[in-house]
Amino acid sequence: MLRDTAPTAPASQQQLPFTEPMPLTRPLLVAPKQVRRLWFCIWLPNLPLEACGSSAEALAIVEEQHGIHRVLQVDPVAAAVGIMPGQSANAALALLPTLRLEERSRVREQQVLEALATWLERFSSFVSIAGKDVLLLEIGGSLRLFGGLPSLRQTLSKDLDAKGFSAAMAIAPTPLAATWLARAGRRACIRAEENLGPALRKLPLSCLDWSAGQCESLTGMGVHTVGDCLRLPRAGFARRFGAKRLLDLDRALGHLPDPRDSWRAPERFCADHEMAEEQSDRELLLQICRELLLSHEQFLLARQLGTQRLCFSFFHLKSVATELRLGAAFADRSAERWFDLLNIRFEQFRLPEAVIAVRLQSGLSQPLQAESAHLCFDNKAGTQRRRFSIAQLAERLVARIGDHSVNALATVAEHRPEYAWSVQSLLSDGSSSTLMACDGIVRPLWMLPEPALLPADGDYPLHKGCRLTLLDGPERLETGWWDEQGISRDYYTAVNGAGMRLWVFRNRQRTPNWYLHGIFG
Amino acid sequence: MSLEKLLENPRVWRGSCQASARAGLASGYPKLDRCLPGGGWPQQALTEILTDQYGIGELRLLMPALAELSTEETHYGEQREPGWIAWIAPPFQPYPPALQQSGIDLSRMLIVRPKDDSDLLWSAEQALSSGTCVAVLLWPDKLDDQGSRRLQLAAEKGHSWAIAFRPLTARQQPSAAALRLELQSTGQGTRVHILKSRGGRPAVLDSLL
Repeated sequence: MLRDTAPTAPASQQQLPFTEPMPLTRPLLVAPKQVRRLWFCIWLPNLPLEACGSSAEALAIVEEQHGIHRVLQVDPVAAAVGIMPGQSANAALALLPTLRLEERSRVREQQVLEALATWLERFSSFVSIAGKDVLLLEIGGSLRLFGGLPSLRQTLSKDLDAKGFSAAMAIAPTPLAATWLARAGRRACIRAEENLGPALRKLPLSCLDWSAGQCESLTGMGVHTVGDCLRLPRAGFARRFGAKRLLDLDRALGHLPDPRDSWRAPERFCADHEMAEEQSDRELLLQICRELLLSHEQFLLARQLGTQRLCFSFFHLKSVATELRLGAAFADRSAERWFDLLNIRFEQFRLPEAVIAVRLQSGLSQPLQAESAHLCFDNKAGTQRRRFSIAQLAERLVARIGDHSVNALATVAEHRPEYAWSVQSLLSDGSSSTLMACDGIVRPLWMLPEPALLPADGDYPLHKGCRLTLLDGPERLETGWWDEQGISRDYYTAVNGAGMRLWVFRNRQRTPNWYLHGIFG
Repeated sequence: MSLEKLLENPRVWRGSCQASARAGLASGYPKLDRCLPGGGWPQQALTEILTDQYGIGELRLLMPALAELSTEETHYGEQREPGWIAWIAPPFQPYPPALQQSGIDLSRMLIVRPKDDSDLLWSAEQALSSGTCVAVLLWPDKLDDQGSRRLQLAAEKGHSWAIAFRPLTARQQPSAAALRLELQSTGQGTRVHILKSRGGRPAVLDSLL
């Protein structure tokens, strides 16, 4: 009876000589055990090669080792002619003179890894870059959304394949175990912590990312697998190989928490597209812009953000870059809509020279205002007729004829006619009109930009050479001392010989001249 | 063969049927409404107003109908949103306080000032076919037969109302407009001459304004 009620320790733990964990070197965060954590590891063994993108010609990545450039990785085309990792660059070129050699670039690899991590954020809220070629995802919380583990795994593997990455993947309850299993090339999927021990025990030391010297001395001791390491006395193991190694083992088995840094993607999008040679074909450039817009859409989609401004830079070899800026009426991410605007602008856009690279930079991103769609799907007539909203219309107009050419109007509570209204940009927030009291005062529908001086015949103003007949008035409007733009005028409604109704005033300050200010349209 | 059967033949075209199929928009001037087929301004079509002068009531003629359009909720399927009125290349500044006095909702006004005539026509087409503008007023320098046809088609497509202001010299040019009015000032007021009216007949209205 007593044996049954006693807590049963995991099988792996019972075999360890010491069950107490090592003292911790730094405080660690312990996650609440509400959702069972499950880590998905993606190991990219061919990252140096794949970071260079795909190309039709044979490609080899070289790295300088002891002053000699040696082949690090080769693509299948180069491998077919017998080029192998470890060869010197000269030997490889002797085998295939047309071979494209690329120096390994850690910066480029890091960029590709970051781009991948950003893309992976759609699958999990916790993505971590672990080392130079490993990505970790916490998928315990995402399983339901993606329809279970097999479906998620399949999606990931298919998408990575489509992106041109050959990845080794493994799933385990601890991040380190997942990494080791992936490195071992086992398509392992361990969900329960109890099964972790047996699976890890079989792993060879080579997949542990420990230093070569340590692996060598362990092998010299007859220790070949993780299981062999676990059988060693803990204190002695820690003394000889460092507490860090023992910590690794404890973390992999889940005895100790293993906190990771979560990858946070930058909030502004910036991507380049470089071309092998200068291009001036506008269709091709549009196509490149379209691709950039599509990745921009993906970037914003992962964050539920949108942006109102975009800037394309076209780089030339001999002169400074040409910029093309686009603005939208409201924050959006849809590549389709941005491309539409770009198309309108691109028609009138002149490029001084051929283009060598295109960069797309997004403006400040902002949370998207989700719009409710209609519940009735069959309402075809309504949707067809209404092609786009006023904001979309305005941004199309702005894209073609300029920012200051499309405006909205508003009234301002002000008695001086020229200050009683304002022009507002449609791309800004909604206009705010003050409702004027209509107490019988008449105002013309047309206003002149500036009052026009009228010649006078004695006390009567002249318009187009004939005397105006004053019909109505005067209406006296004066003062404005608060902004030193004071007026003192007597306004009249007048009619000229041709039947035009005009709004004229006589200045009461300085010289009593007549002015034409508006037309009753 | 009965008469009904004969009339069903697609080759038989009846002018009066076409015109009465669509009700016009009341202009606010009963005298004018009586002369227009459908009892008002033809909708989803181009209206041309020919005049050489400003200030003889060319805007006042439209104001009641525009005020009606800017406040009325348009019934485009389920989308219930008041329509916009676009002014493209107006010769002077439309004065907001006066527009407000005429009953126009200022928050639904769009002023577009294109650089040249091709931009003007493009903007007008965009606005008309967008389905968001209930009326588009434009002041083109030149408008040829083809341009007027484009406007007419765009107005049909976007269920909008295009109003083009043109000089009197355009009277001799052919146009695809559904309605052409000539405005001239006489001693007693402004005379409105209906030059062309699809489904209706020409008429002269003295001192309407």
